Amino acid sequence: MTPRFSYGRIAHVVLWCGLAVASLWVSIPKIYSGATQYPLRPSGPLHTCDSYLKFATGASGASKDVISIFHSMTVSKRIIIFTRKDDAFSSGLGMTTAYLASPHLVRLFEINGTHPDIELSKLNPDEVAAVVFCRMNRPAWLPAGKVFGSGLEVIPMSEKVRR
Amino acid sequence: MSALALLAAFGALLVAGYGLLTLLVRQDTRFSLTEQIAFSWLLGTGAVSLLLWIFGLLVHGALLPALVGIVCLLLGFVGWRRMVPRPLRRKRNLVEIFLGIIVFLEIAIVFYLSFVHTLGWDGLLNWEIKARYAFANGGVLPATYFSDSGRSFSHPEYPLAIPFTELWLYFWLGEADQFCAKTIFPIFYVVGIFLLVALGKRLAGRTWIGLLMAAFLFFVPQITVEVGSAIGGYADFPLSVFYLATIGCLFCAAEQGNAAFFRLYAACLALLPWVKRDGVILWTVAAACGVFVILRTKRSPLFFLGFLPGLLIICGWHFYLSTKHALQPADFLPVNLEALGSHLYRIPPLLSAFLAEFYNLPTWSLFWFVVAVGVVYLLRRMRDPRVLVLLAALIVPIFFYLLIYVFSSWPSYLDHVGLSISRLLMHVAPVGFLITILAVSRRREKNPARVREGGVVTCIMAGSERTPVVELA
Repeated sequence: MTPRFSYGRIAHVVLWCGLAVASLWVSIPKIYSGATQYPLRPSGPLHTCDSYLKFATGASGASKDVISIFHSMTVSKRIIIFTRKDDAFSSGLGMTTAYLASPHLVRLFEINGTHPDIELSKLNPDEVAAVVFCRMNRPAWLPAGKVFGSGLEVIPMSEKVRR
Repeated sequence: MSALALLAAFGALLVAGYGLLTLLVRQDTRFSLTEQIAFSWLLGTGAVSLLLWIFGLLVHGALLPALVGIVCLLLGFVGWRRMVPRPLRRKRNLVEIFLGIIVFLEIAIVFYLSFVHTLGWDGLLNWEIKARYAFANGGVLPATYFSDSGRSFSHPEYPLAIPFTELWLYFWLGEADQFCAKTIFPIFYVVGIFLLVALGKRLAGRTWIGLLMAAFLFFVPQITVEVGSAIGGYADFPLSVFYLATIGCLFCAAEQGNAAFFRLYAACLALLPWVKRDGVILWTVAAACGVFVILRTKRSPLFFLGFLPGLLIICGWHFYLSTKHALQPADFLPVNLEALGSHLYRIPPLLSAFLAEFYNLPTWSLFWFVVAVGVVYLLRRMRDPRVLVLLAALIVPIFFYLLIYVFSSWPSYLDHVGLSISRLLMHVAPVGFLITILAVSRRREKNPARVREGGVVTCIMAGSERTPVVELA
């Protein structure tokens, strides 16, 4: 008959209890800060996009307005989105806009600097429904479009602009 | 109203999954309620998403969810007629009740966190985007989506288990709703918890060990609060739960004559590549483990047919992508000997990056250290093929993941590693918990006479140790 409490058994229990306590000691501060970091956000069908747009531009509840602008345009034409290469916010904003631009096809231009004149001059305006600038300057020769917060501008390509 | 629609959508998923579970288990083996819920959810999400995709090749619009709903009802009817037997209830002890309360509180916190957080970056732009576009197009992804270079960032080639589960919710809700889509992810956490408890009970023979491990799952920051965690809408945690189910079932299937677990293993295995592209790697490893178990336990060659569903899904999805002229993923170079030879110099830096990740305390706490201790414990039991399977299921995918970064086409492959390594390691983390369960329980040394059968620990005997009812049955 083996004794109920052998040294091996005691060592086993001490080892795993020690590991458990150490794990909790390391984890709890991280979990606590992660869990208390964010307040409750409003729910809604576009709540993630709204949060992203608010984070990047400061505009609240902008997703719905962005979608309605794109919906008013000819579906067969592309949406052109300009983002800055060195700017993660601009890139994220561009992808969020591309997400919202469905069912239009989109084309993302990631450019160095903040002036997309060269790329714009290469586009065929008849195939473009709108041009979007994400944290970039709109060229002076383009008319002002709909601005969302600071950094997102959507310019529908009307007949006037094409001329 | 939305809550009712969500409940109905989840109910349909669970009913379909339960029907499949009864077909697979065939009243051969008793399954606890937690196991039945867990497997019903996994099989239900897999089946409904697959049905939406397959029926979507033929019909779209209102007919698509109606057809899938009819199949769910039929499966539910099958489930109702066959019912999986459950072990009789036994009285819980105080430790189990205490741990159960802790686990319940943790689940409540995970639900709270998932509502507080938005969908993560990939959760929105890789996964939910597909559900939204398919919903807007009558349940079928638009053909232009696959070839639209402007949306290549959303990886059109990724498989559809998660997005089409979200799509199923959207059909019931009547609109695409990012907030409601998040609800499926804490449910995967609950399923992971249920599986750990149930497998802990089967592997260790004690409920409290399973409950303890399930409680500790919450304390791995990568799983609860980090980027790509269980709450962010990423496919990585669901994939890890499918992998846990696959390997757990294989462990139990290694028992001679326990074909019910092998059928469940084959079903979960088939769904791995349907959850995420990386699932193909996990499928390869888990299938190799399955081949090992079949050969080692001298089973009928018919068991090899269990690999067919997974192969069909892999080939079917690739064929579908080629017919849609889907853009090729740009994250990796073509995998060939030439590319391997010219990028071998990356292996040492990759190894150090992986090692650094293992002791990244803010992300993993002491999890990998604990698993390493567990592995050392199990080295003495390497003659047991099931222990070998567990160790291979943990370690081999990590080596494969290391190897794929050799083919990274990112300008800085170490940036690529830094962005995704923690999520990849999460795929095998629940298997690490299984190893820890075995190590903590030390069953073989403790009571070898009761649990050995030809030198092999057995799931059925492990079950009978603690539930005399199973023996009577």
